[in-house]
Amino acid sequence: MTRYVLRRVALAIPTLFLVSVIVFAMMRFMPGDVVTRMVEGHAYAPTLAALRHDLGLDRPVHVQYLDWIGGIVLRGDFGNSYWTRQPILEEFVRRFPVTLELAGLTILISVVMGIAIGIVSAVRQDTASDYVGRVLAILALSVPYFGLAVLVVVLPSIYFKWTPVWTYVAFTADPLANLKIMIVPALVFGVTRAGPIMRIMRSALLDVLRQEYIRTAWSKGLSERTIVLRHALKNALIPVVSLVGLQTPLYLGGSVIIEAIFRLPGVGLFFFEALTRLDYPVVQSVNLIIAGMVVGLNLLIDLSYAYLDPRIRY
Amino acid sequence: MDVWVQLLRKKPLGTLGGAIVLVMLAAAALADWITPYGFSQTSLRERFIAVSPAHWLGTDQLGRDLLTRLVFGARISLYVGFGAVALGSVLATATGVLSAYFGGRLDLLLQRGVDAWMAFPPLLLLMTILSLLGPSVFNITTVLGVAFGIQNSRVIRGVALSIKEHTFVESARALGAGHVRTALGHILPNVLPTIIVVATTGLSTVILTEASLSFLGLGVPPPYPTWGGMLSLAGLDHMYQAPWLAIWPAVALSLAVFGFNMLGDALRDLLDPRLKGG
Repeated sequence: MTRYVLRRVALAIPTLFLVSVIVFAMMRFMPGDVVTRMVEGHAYAPTLAALRHDLGLDRPVHVQYLDWIGGIVLRGDFGNSYWTRQPILEEFVRRFPVTLELAGLTILISVVMGIAIGIVSAVRQDTASDYVGRVLAILALSVPYFGLAVLVVVLPSIYFKWTPVWTYVAFTADPLANLKIMIVPALVFGVTRAGPIMRIMRSALLDVLRQEYIRTAWSKGLSERTIVLRHALKNALIPVVSLVGLQTPLYLGGSVIIEAIFRLPGVGLFFFEALTRLDYPVVQSVNLIIAGMVVGLNLLIDLSYAYLDPRIRY
Repeated sequence: MDVWVQLLRKKPLGTLGGAIVLVMLAAAALADWITPYGFSQTSLRERFIAVSPAHWLGTDQLGRDLLTRLVFGARISLYVGFGAVALGSVLATATGVLSAYFGGRLDLLLQRGVDAWMAFPPLLLLMTILSLLGPSVFNITTVLGVAFGIQNSRVIRGVALSIKEHTFVESARALGAGHVRTALGHILPNVLPTIIVVATTGLSTVILTEASLSFLGLGVPPPYPTWGGMLSLAGLDHMYQAPWLAIWPAVALSLAVFGFNMLGDALRDLLDPRLKGG
């Protein structure tokens, strides 16, 4: 087990190296230019050349890359924003709890809804509740979350005089007020993501329920509740876990849009603002940190299979 | 042809999806003839009409007809959707089959590249690339196509790998077929059903992604209407006055995604039961 974990961690290093190269190369070789934008729009410096020199962008590209990646690897320094000159890691750490809470609540909502409806649909296959569940899943798959979010922001304020709270309160400052703010965006996002989870839960459970050991459990006279929840569910959860793992990047990516709509001061908004200003170091470092998280999470998910299915050993 | 008959007979939802897709295609193709207004034709005396005989779905802050804009928006969604999926399918097939057929170092190199690409949340990566390149129909189609290709080359590679192990491939080689002939004449035809399935199920994702990028202002630039752009935050203040500005584009987008999803699922079940998901 330890060896397997070490090997997987070692395999993640070349991946992250490639990630850093890809994102760095994009920022340097694609047309958008931060210097032009800073000088022409905002007069950060008298001339393009002066600013380019000031930011170190006149050095050879490989030197710039080594400077950036070296800072991260050797000193844990993810660089400073070109525009605000503030350290990126500090800002990221300050904003990350918002995104984490949003993603956590979203995953919780979508998983609970998806699994619950999926179980009912599978156990009551081809009955009215199954059809209702499947129609709900199709609806959830079809309605885009940002469309739903805009409708949730606009319609209740017109018809019920209710508007989402726009001023963010940290969880540590006032947990209740914070949840009141987060629950609407998390519900909007979570509901639309529950569709695929419900579908895979249903089909996985149907598969498991047809297996021999379940027939044995029936013939022992166990109750349906025990059979479904104690015998079948755990085995049927494996595809659900891998789906949630595969979808984590979608949760993190989607948080950019959700944070923009509900004005939550999270990492997504930080990234989006940096992007509109072509703030190279911020875009590079945030992309790299998040990709690192995705890689780490995939590893955790692989390891969780061992718990769910004791037949899997490393 | 057989597939379409089966679709009509056995898959009511898939047929409904197909019908929606057909209506969308017809609307997009005939947009210039079936709409009485231009998509950027303003009429300041007719701002914020909810419903009227002249404007079935109402008008926006500049008095532009919403139905007209939705019909032209379908054109962008389909253009980008089909363009990107076509480009991506070719790319995915080429890299997937090459990677599987030759294996070894080429495979290792390509697959590590795919690993790295997949470590990014797709939206972050696409946003980064498009804000550097600047918004345009060509850029968004190409970028979405490349992304689609890289993501799906894994699937194609997997199928090609299993086909490569069949004895008929070995026999072809033994009979003296070259690499090109074996790959194109023997492996490719067997990967084809998978490609069709990947492409049809991918269409809804690509259309949705295009809409989210347009929503963020990184898609097709105005004045050309896109569904994502019509929903976007830039128009939020107007939506409080005229909620139909938010409702109809959201409905159109949901319908399109629903249509492509159902059609894709049905075709997948009929063409390639191995890929059957939830």
